Amino acid sequence: MLSIKDLKVNIEDKAILRGLNLDIKPGEIHAIMGPNGSGKSTLANVLAGREEYEVTDGSVTFEGEDLLDMDVDERAQKGVFLAFQYPVEIPGVSTATFLKSAVNAVREARGEEELKSIDMLKLLREKTAMVGMDQKFLQRSLNEGFSGGEKKRNEMLQMALLEPKLAVLDETDSGLDIDALKIVADVVNQMRDANRSFLIVTHYQRLLNYIVPDHVHVLVNGRIVKSGDKSLALKLEDQGYDWVKGEAALAE
Amino acid sequence: MSTATLQDRYAEVKDRFRSLFNVFEGALNGHRDQPMHTLRKAGIERLDVMDFPTRRDENWKYTSLNQMLRLPLQDSYQVEVDAATIDGLAIPGLDAARIVLVNGLLQTELSDLDKIPEGMELLPVDQALEDEAVKGQISEMLDAAVKNDHNPFSALNVAFAKNGFVLKVKAKAVVEKPVHIIHLAAPTGEPVFINPLLLVLTGAHSEGAVVETYDALPGADQAYFSNILTRVHVGVNAHFHHYRIQNDSAAATVVSNIEAHQQQDSTFSSYLVDLGGDVVRNNLSTILQGQNTMTNYYGVYLAKGKQHIDNQTFIDHALPHCGSNELYKGILDDRGRGVFNGKVIVRQDAQKTNAFQQNSSLVLSKTAEMDTKPQLEIFADDVRCSHGATIGQLDESSVFYLRSRGLSDLQARQLLQQAFLFDVVENMPLEAVKDYAEQLIEKKLK
Repeated sequence: MLSIKDLKVNIEDKAILRGLNLDIKPGEIHAIMGPNGSGKSTLANVLAGREEYEVTDGSVTFEGEDLLDMDVDERAQKGVFLAFQYPVEIPGVSTATFLKSAVNAVREARGEEELKSIDMLKLLREKTAMVGMDQKFLQRSLNEGFSGGEKKRNEMLQMALLEPKLAVLDETDSGLDIDALKIVADVVNQMRDANRSFLIVTHYQRLLNYIVPDHVHVLVNGRIVKSGDKSLALKLEDQGYDWVKGEAALAE
Repeated sequence: MSTATLQDRYAEVKDRFRSLFNVFEGALNGHRDQPMHTLRKAGIERLDVMDFPTRRDENWKYTSLNQMLRLPLQDSYQVEVDAATIDGLAIPGLDAARIVLVNGLLQTELSDLDKIPEGMELLPVDQALEDEAVKGQISEMLDAAVKNDHNPFSALNVAFAKNGFVLKVKAKAVVEKPVHIIHLAAPTGEPVFINPLLLVLTGAHSEGAVVETYDALPGADQAYFSNILTRVHVGVNAHFHHYRIQNDSAAATVVSNIEAHQQQDSTFSSYLVDLGGDVVRNNLSTILQGQNTMTNYYGVYLAKGKQHIDNQTFIDHALPHCGSNELYKGILDDRGRGVFNGKVIVRQDAQKTNAFQQNSSLVLSKTAEMDTKPQLEIFADDVRCSHGATIGQLDESSVFYLRSRGLSDLQARQLLQQAFLFDVVENMPLEAVKDYAEQLIEKKLK
């Protein structure tokens, strides 16, 4: 589904990703862990299409197509979703209006008809219930004055509504209490199926107590230095990142 | 030498207005002895002592009306408009008595003159001037308009207004249903001079609203000059809302002079939405005549192409315990240009004044321009006043966020622009008018 080959990315001429390789097959959940500054968020942002990141080498293909060549909106329309670490507050745009526009934009790109108001209402009701969000948030301006947890819940709502093929969660767990964390995990687990993949970017292991990944990768200094199964995450939780950093330094 | 040239040019302009007045006067058979006629003459004679503003005047620094003043303006005459056209200009869902003016002339057949809501009364100005109950006030209002020493346009309006109206809200009447005045510019093949005149008198403890919409028939690409005069007297503890949604043709020059006088404990709210016009200049001012008043000014401007929209506002806080709240937001794109000059004076006696003013603009192209000047002059020491002016672009991280959910770049930008202006529009208490304004804005952003 997603294939990243030797990806090198700079921000303002500073190398952040330095030859990253990753293959995600349909239905798989991959977790990328790593210490601060290792390039985790850069990877998430490059996949989403943020422009301030300069790809200097390598390739990213999504379902056989060059992802890096796609516009931001095109990526979303083709089924790539990024749950933001810091969702933007947009005063004046009601959450409901935004969600309807997003759902219809993605439907239109898939050659489907716009949802009728009544069906849209039903869908919104169903998915807000799924993420445990109060309906009254729909009438409020997008993310404006939402708490950290409410913002993340809203990200999960968007993911549930847009039903992406690949969802990238960029430190969605950061700043969340245990209840909010469980909701994020619950939504991911409900949406998990043989055709949908997830890339979970996180600093801590605790989200992985609730979402069991198929593969865990450790990113250090812009490269994946170790891959394993869920036990790797536990080892990191237990022993910290120093030992992988040490191994990585030796390997260089 | 340049001064001489200027004077010569305006002498010619003035002469044209004078001869236009002579033609107009000639057609006023049998109305020459009416009190309105005396005021009209005073209006045209005002040109003897007043000049047209030039860009040398500080308050006209950015706005020139010369293009319009060079036009061979003609008096307007009846143009046939069918009911279906007018229905198309109604505000969906607004339960209101409609008054229809085409090129400034009343269309009796298309108007609900017999359905003016209870508690309100609508009188032709000339009739009001002979009505014992109001004639004193009305002639004072018109006289003050003639003597406006900021610009000669209100005097010209009095001289030329065809079907001016007085709207009375009776004391203690709380009128929920507004009067909707539909102003329509219809092409006549000549540049017409349109002079909408509205005087509002509200009695003590009353509440009411008037909604004015300005539209042009398709094909009205002929230039015209809409010279609006609105004066509102808000009685003791009365609350009045004035809405104006201006969607004139791209060839129109629009000048408006709107002045409110407020008695104690009253509220005056003005909602101006400017979407149309080539050159638009609004002079909005309020004079406070009692304590504990509230004045709300909400304004939206959206200039594209080479539209030019200039808003001048003035609130004179002369008495204590009064509040004013002013929010103007606009978007300038293409070669569009906006001007905001918001003056608030808080005089020495006006203790406990709360004055808030905010002007924010989005400038979306390199060739668009916004000039803003918040002007607060505070002479009292126990007041709360704040003002702010911002000029910026759309927040790119917001655009990115919306696009990352599948919205196209264009959709994302339109949504953000709408949201930016909605901040102002959402303050309109009449839902139907709010929705209508939103729809027009959305349409224009597309």
